[in-house]
Amino acid sequence: VEEPEVQVPAESTVRLPTSPGAVAGQTVDAPAVRAYLERARRIVTRHAAYLTRLDAVLGDGDHGDNLVIGFRAVETMLDELPAETPPGELLQAVGHRLVAAVGGASGPLYGTAFIEAGFRAGDAETLDVTTLSDLLAAAADGLSRRGRCAIGDKTILDALRPAADAFARVVGGGGSLAAAVTAAELAARDGMRSTRALIARRGLALRLGERSAGYLDPGAVSCFLLVRALAVR
Amino acid sequence: MTDADGRRPEPAEELVLLRNRIDRLETESRRAFGDAQREADALFAQYQLSQLLASGGSLGELATAVVIELVRLSGGEAGAIWLGEHGSAVLTRAATVGPDTEARSPFQLEGLEAARSWSASDARCTGLVLDEEPPTFLAVWASEAEPLDTEGLRVAQLARHELGVAFAGARLREALERERHELAAIVDSATDVILQVDEERRVLRLNPAGERLIGASLPAAVGRTCAEVLGCDIAGGHREADCPLAEVLAFGVPIAYRETALRGNHGDAVRVAGSYTRSVGPIPGAVAGGGRATATAILRDISAVRALEQLREGFVATVSHELRTPLALIRGYSDTLLHLDVDEATERSYVERIHQVTDRLAALVTQILDVTRLDADPLILERAPASFAALVARLRGDLALSGEDGRLVVDLPADLPPIEVDSGRVGQVLENVVANALKYAPEETPVVVAAEVEGDWLVATVDDDGIGIPEAERRLVLEPFHRAGNVRESRIPGTGLGLYICRRLIEAHGGELRIADRPDGRRGTRISFSLPLLPNRGRATGHDDEPQPAGPSRPTESVGG
Repeated sequence: VEEPEVQVPAESTVRLPTSPGAVAGQTVDAPAVRAYLERARRIVTRHAAYLTRLDAVLGDGDHGDNLVIGFRAVETMLDELPAETPPGELLQAVGHRLVAAVGGASGPLYGTAFIEAGFRAGDAETLDVTTLSDLLAAAADGLSRRGRCAIGDKTILDALRPAADAFARVVGGGGSLAAAVTAAELAARDGMRSTRALIARRGLALRLGERSAGYLDPGAVSCFLLVRALAVR
Repeated sequence: MTDADGRRPEPAEELVLLRNRIDRLETESRRAFGDAQREADALFAQYQLSQLLASGGSLGELATAVVIELVRLSGGEAGAIWLGEHGSAVLTRAATVGPDTEARSPFQLEGLEAARSWSASDARCTGLVLDEEPPTFLAVWASEAEPLDTEGLRVAQLARHELGVAFAGARLREALERERHELAAIVDSATDVILQVDEERRVLRLNPAGERLIGASLPAAVGRTCAEVLGCDIAGGHREADCPLAEVLAFGVPIAYRETALRGNHGDAVRVAGSYTRSVGPIPGAVAGGGRATATAILRDISAVRALEQLREGFVATVSHELRTPLALIRGYSDTLLHLDVDEATERSYVERIHQVTDRLAALVTQILDVTRLDADPLILERAPASFAALVARLRGDLALSGEDGRLVVDLPADLPPIEVDSGRVGQVLENVVANALKYAPEETPVVVAAEVEGDWLVATVDDDGIGIPEAERRLVLEPFHRAGNVRESRIPGTGLGLYICRRLIEAHGGELRIADRPDGRRGTRISFSLPLLPNRGRATGHDDEPQPAGPSRPTESVGG
């Protein structure tokens, strides 16, 4: 299995998320969330074959295909939701859709992350960086609880938790949204790469024991992709 | 809004009531949300557990994965699992997770009762019987800080049946795998050829014995038809239309014994006896296509048996001819001498004839005894340093007695190094080969004995101007009792044992005896045989005895420059 077919950008290439509703690039509104979900769908589709190949080693070889199906279902659902649906509600709906549409364990896990994030967002029209930081943390907490996983278990969490932590650190230090997103992406990438050496402690790869070491965790890779999609390029 | 008395409350009071009610609803909804979340968590945990259980793998892998999963589910810090065998109460630890598990869990548990009471004796340990038969027991240790998660334990309890089924499945898979290995070992170690073909008679399997006999590797054979792989038609086994594999595939009636021939790894025909069966079932390894018929052939190389039969037939034929002819002659001449008065000259010629014939008989008996001795294992050689030139000289001396030495042309290099052989045996070979040449080549034609060194061998050649040995029979005349067709027609007496004995004796020395055309293109035969040179011959001959130069023996090429 070769290295992921994703290029990590230098920090300078990451621009501020902009959308008609965003205020000075420091908040996120419903159109921005929709735009993010579209980016997520595209990046997952682009790397679906690779994710599936990775999954064929450690899991049951359907991760990429499952995510494509899930985000396609999300796209259809978004078209049917009223334009004024607030970000929190959008994210929860996405979560429920993913739970229902994505096969395997990744559906409930990503679904939980989105639902928890949406729940944390409440019914606010726009989300500021602090809320976004809490939202990412809530996503990581929810996924960790549902999956009963911790850092180092060779799961999605190995990319998601560092991303949420890095985001929170930048926001806590007064950093911009763009800086927080970049930091999250880099942390997710490092977390994803760390899974190669790990012995799986969760999921189907568990049965491989020590033989699971040496391969990237497909969930961590797809999580990195979803974090990477946060940035508007 | 009204209160219990139907009295309309005061606005301020109403506001308080309303707020209380909202609080209640919020609490309830929070609790409902929490419940739903826990329910979802438990469902997901069950889902993950069943996914893991359904994912296959070996018993050990499954045991380890299950312990890890259940320790996680219950929020414990360590766990272990014990598995028993069917019909036995004893459980053996199959996997452990977490710190000190080796120390705090016994390697064996004497039955599930013992397991229960053992786990009950440890306050932080919770035991769980996953299956009664075969016994399967799990123990989870809570951490010092917090008790086990009852919700997680409940999931494990609920999955008990599934866990039992999964372990039964894994045991079954292991048993099947073991059986498959054993069967494969039998098939692989069989000395008979085992060949399996599909309905189109394309090869599915071929065991190592088959690969060796046919000289084709399994990957090269798979997918080709049996006719291509075995070459029965070419080898004269049977016509394509009479293929026994096609027959069993078509009629399903097993063939218990049928002899045929196939093309061996040297391209020669190998006689085989085979049994053929058809079976209907899934092709191992095939995803689909169950219920397709396959045919299996078990073929035994009977060329050795055939050879033995031929040997026996040859022996009977040779002995009956070669023994009876001289006996009849002796009988005839001696009868005449006994009963008839013959003149002195005739009498002498008769006695000479009897003497001659007796020699022939003695030679035959010697040869037969030689063959018997050759087949005794091992053939004992008295190896000693010898000179090939001396052996040739001795032969010349013997030939001089019969006046045939004039035909022997010796062409040996002067500095021929010594050989290390059983001189008596090699002398016998030389004598036999030269005698053959003298016997079958026209009178007055020369028989040339030459020799040269090739590596660690001395290769001797004997060339004659005789009728030659047909190419197709060259391999056969090296077998016992086989005489080439043109020789049989020549009516020159012979046993068909000479060259066989020579070949065996040379092979016993590690050498090789070959029959070839004469390299100068003239009619006749060249028999060559190799003999081992005396190791370290330099010391014995005094040649090549100089000390080696210290530096490299060749000038080295200069590098760069």
